[in-house]
Amino acid sequence: MTVTDRTITAPEETLALPAGPAIAHRPLGIFTRPQGSEGWRSWLFTVDHKRIGIMYGAAALFFFLVGGAEALFIRLQLATPNGSVIGAGTYNGVFTMHGVTMVFLVIMPMAAAFANYLLPLQVGARDVAFPRLNAFSFWCFLAGGLLLTSSILVGGWFQNAPDGGWFAYAPNTGLLFSPSKGIDFYAVGLQILGIASLVSAINLIVTVLNMRTPGMSFFRMPVLTWMLLITQFLLLFALPVITVALFLLMFDRLWDANFFNVEAGADPLLWQHLFWIFGHPEVYILILPAFGIVSEIIPTFSRKPLFGYHFMVASGIAIGFMGWGVWAHHMFTSGVGPLSVAAFSVSTMFIAVPTGVKILNWLATMYRGRLRFTTPMLYAVGVVSMFTIGGLSGVTHAIAPSDTQQTDTYYIVAHFHYVIFGGALLGLFGGFYYWWPKAFGYKLSEAWGKASFWVMLIGFNFTFGPMHILGLQGMSRRIATYRADEGFALWNMVATIGAFVIAVGVAMFFWNVYVSTRNWRRAGRPDVGPDPWDARGLEWMTASPVPEHNFDEDIQVDRLDHFWHRKYGKDESGRVVRAAPTSEIAHDGSNTNVHLPSPSYWPIVLGGGILLVGYGIIYNLWLAAAGLVFLIGAIYGWILEPADDPDAAGHHDDHHDDDDGDDHGDPDGNGGPSGNGESASAETEEPETEEAATVG
Amino acid sequence: MSGRARGLVWLSSLLVIAGTIALIVVAIVVDKDHPLSTLSPVGRQGRDIAELINPIFIVAGVVFFLVQGAVLALWWRYRVAGSETGDGEYGYYDDDEFPDQTHGNNRLEIAWTIVPTVLLAVISVFTLVALFALDDVKASDEDITVTVIGQQWWWEYQYHLDGDTDTPPDFVTANELVIPVGVDVALDIKSRDVIHSFWIPKLNGKRDAVPGRSHDWVIQSEEPGRFRGQCTEFCGLSHGYMKMVAVALPTAEFHQWKNNQMTPAEAPAEGTPEGEGWATFSQQCASCHVVNGLTSAANRGGAADSPPDDWDIYGEHNGGSAGPVLTTELVAGAAPNLTHLMTRGTFAGSAFDLYLNAGDHIPYLDLAEAGTLNRGELEAWISNAPERKPADADDLRGMPARTGLSPTDIDNVVAFLSTLD
Repeated sequence: MTVTDRTITAPEETLALPAGPAIAHRPLGIFTRPQGSEGWRSWLFTVDHKRIGIMYGAAALFFFLVGGAEALFIRLQLATPNGSVIGAGTYNGVFTMHGVTMVFLVIMPMAAAFANYLLPLQVGARDVAFPRLNAFSFWCFLAGGLLLTSSILVGGWFQNAPDGGWFAYAPNTGLLFSPSKGIDFYAVGLQILGIASLVSAINLIVTVLNMRTPGMSFFRMPVLTWMLLITQFLLLFALPVITVALFLLMFDRLWDANFFNVEAGADPLLWQHLFWIFGHPEVYILILPAFGIVSEIIPTFSRKPLFGYHFMVASGIAIGFMGWGVWAHHMFTSGVGPLSVAAFSVSTMFIAVPTGVKILNWLATMYRGRLRFTTPMLYAVGVVSMFTIGGLSGVTHAIAPSDTQQTDTYYIVAHFHYVIFGGALLGLFGGFYYWWPKAFGYKLSEAWGKASFWVMLIGFNFTFGPMHILGLQGMSRRIATYRADEGFALWNMVATIGAFVIAVGVAMFFWNVYVSTRNWRRAGRPDVGPDPWDARGLEWMTASPVPEHNFDEDIQVDRLDHFWHRKYGKDESGRVVRAAPTSEIAHDGSNTNVHLPSPSYWPIVLGGGILLVGYGIIYNLWLAAAGLVFLIGAIYGWILEPADDPDAAGHHDDHHDDDDGDDHGDPDGNGGPSGNGESASAETEEPETEEAATVG
Repeated sequence: MSGRARGLVWLSSLLVIAGTIALIVVAIVVDKDHPLSTLSPVGRQGRDIAELINPIFIVAGVVFFLVQGAVLALWWRYRVAGSETGDGEYGYYDDDEFPDQTHGNNRLEIAWTIVPTVLLAVISVFTLVALFALDDVKASDEDITVTVIGQQWWWEYQYHLDGDTDTPPDFVTANELVIPVGVDVALDIKSRDVIHSFWIPKLNGKRDAVPGRSHDWVIQSEEPGRFRGQCTEFCGLSHGYMKMVAVALPTAEFHQWKNNQMTPAEAPAEGTPEGEGWATFSQQCASCHVVNGLTSAANRGGAADSPPDDWDIYGEHNGGSAGPVLTTELVAGAAPNLTHLMTRGTFAGSAFDLYLNAGDHIPYLDLAEAGTLNRGELEAWISNAPERKPADADDLRGMPARTGLSPTDIDNVVAFLSTLD
């Protein structure tokens, strides 16, 4: 994909290079590019990493409401013994979709929202390496998400929802045991989501590797950039494994293959190995972005640099590597043999070490700091506190003999909710509050934010804290109900009440977004300034909201936390003093002469084609064929479309720059990575006017 | 924010954490004795596991308090109350006070990498020792081996009294696994369809029943008693209703029970309600359910009291010709063997009690000790099983409804079943 993109667009780039009348005609007839940055169309066709990031975030929040509603149904069903709110069949669909939704459609795209929005900004680039591909990632994700979620509705309420658990163990997911369309939706939907994540991973890896602003060496990158980079590598290597597994499953179900057919000699453990070789790195894919966010927030509100930067980076890398060697701890009772169990038991134990290093470094950052408990800081410290609980229960699972008592009980449910809700989700919410002014130009209300945090945190602990107890008292996972005399009633009721408290907290977040937006608009949209939190990263060095071209000029980075060190210096006595006001350092976004990639029709068309192919595979291959036509058409359109729309008003072509910017990085390789367009100069501005005149 | 509001926030945070801890402590101390609790083991393996994990819970608890305490202490000590307007020269902070700009401390980093590593290394030694010790257990004292077969959504137990699983079992029962007290009973765990997991929390951890595979496991109880279990691997529609019970009997009683189990049932006299019930049963139920001595001749083509010919579910001992497994054909034997139904305390995958108010007085040996038969539930089950326990009977998974039976028919069937003691 990436290679095609480069080789095809590059010659057109040269065609388009000469300024003046040469590009005024349309060399390829109908294949033109959309233009403009206003109105809803501009969102559909955008290739701007910031808009794509915002769309990822919005979609993730939408799916969060879906997954949250599913969670409430689970809790209602389990609130009392012999519950009959939704019944066993629907319950199986609901808990499966809750897991799938929260993992693939909430946490991952939320992290993708931050990765898309922040990675180019944090490394000082103008956009990601492949902007059109980035847009395609989003539309492909949305296609997969809508396909999966539609399974709730098609053919009746939860009649065709996946019902085999998010782990979909064979052979229970075979056609014989799960005859509805649910598992087909699961297999096809996750494959589409996998394409989206894989493409996005490659894009972001290339961005970080090739498009850092001059001077930004690896160890001058913010920890969030590091964690996101590690996450993308984990995705790059983990997704092919699950894709293989899903492919086999799809062939089993749709075309009578026998990969998981025990009667034909298959061993169901094959699925488990494939799933968890993906599934455990997936856990770190979920948590590492949140670790990065926490590592940004805590230093800002401690007014200190991050303690042990290099160790934070190294522990992240260590987690990334060790995460590949622990998958069979999900299979301690599956019969993999004592030697395997021993090996994975030990490896699982030691992955706690780098995680612990992170916790301690965060605490050390706060030590002797000047701590401001703003909403983002509350969330970040919430992660430190709650994730620790999840980490400790995680160590107790590593004790393999004890895990035979704990696995598949509510103790595990408690554990991973402390990790994924208490770690990942709280961190991501903290990120929303922290970067909201950067993305939208105003802060969310602190009062509502704090209230929402506390309600969520209390609800969270009342929901998942008791699950530790339930698990140790023997309550099994994924059971649609339990007998009255099993003694689970009390804590289940507490957990159900807690879940609704969480729901209130989440509602308060959305209310906060509404109220804060309204108040800001009523107040005449006051400017929040480029750096509302007195923060450290490059993303704060440009106007809020970030102008389309990110930075007015390339930033020459000379150290870690470059922006902060531009703001502050030390006097003779070693005291930190203000070196320059932010308004002098930060870019005001006034440069209108930065070359930007043009919007494109084809990413969304390609995503739509994939959606049709997806439904077609499940329901009717003729539909898939129609989708394939769409898909191939979109690829051709993509290839043949001109690099820029020659008709676009204000078409900027800063071809004097080393970096010609569209869809690919720096072909000349001027010795250092460079991602940003040069600043406006008299030289570039003049031909600009000339060209506009010619075109007009 | 005012100081008062700040205080409230501070107080509520303390309350959250204190409350959570209090809940856990109360739960563990007061709320200990649950039927499925892993915290009050009775079996030797269960105790070994508890002895391994309890000190680790304590270590984890200490770390928990250290970290949470550190968070709270840092919060209390270093928080800065005050203006947060963000209008001043210093942006958000409005002040020019800066803490020491510490970047790190390599010694500290190495220390807090090594200390947890050593701690975990110690824990892993204990873990590995326990792991291999638990794995090394071989059935002792008595050579009973029970083949445990999971099937949507109940359990079958095939008793091999001589421990030889290569020969047909001596008898077959369902859902309630009876073992002698103090004896390590070897289990050979299999599955007829999807993956299940066999778990009696008070006795031992769980072990998956994976189709196509045989997993060795051991179960033992130090005391007589009834111990609940639950299938713990998601196995489809009625997973939550797939339960089981392990019963530990003193040795003498166990032998009595065992001898009783090997006795085939006798046909009830014709013309009695029991006889009418048997007639209905043989038409409606016997295509799947086995009652040794009665159904065999009609449905199984063998001698009346011969062992089931479908015991060899993977065909391991029969030249690859397996019994019923993983097919849409549900045939005789692939439903619970009902020969001694009345000696069990539960039915339908242990989802329902067979006796009311029985407590632990289940008539493993003597029906006279029984509580009241849970007639209403049993009748409801016979007439419309999928309504009581979700099943996919159309695809031959779970017991189909028999709504065509009249109340009299059902009464008679219950009367017949009551003779199966």
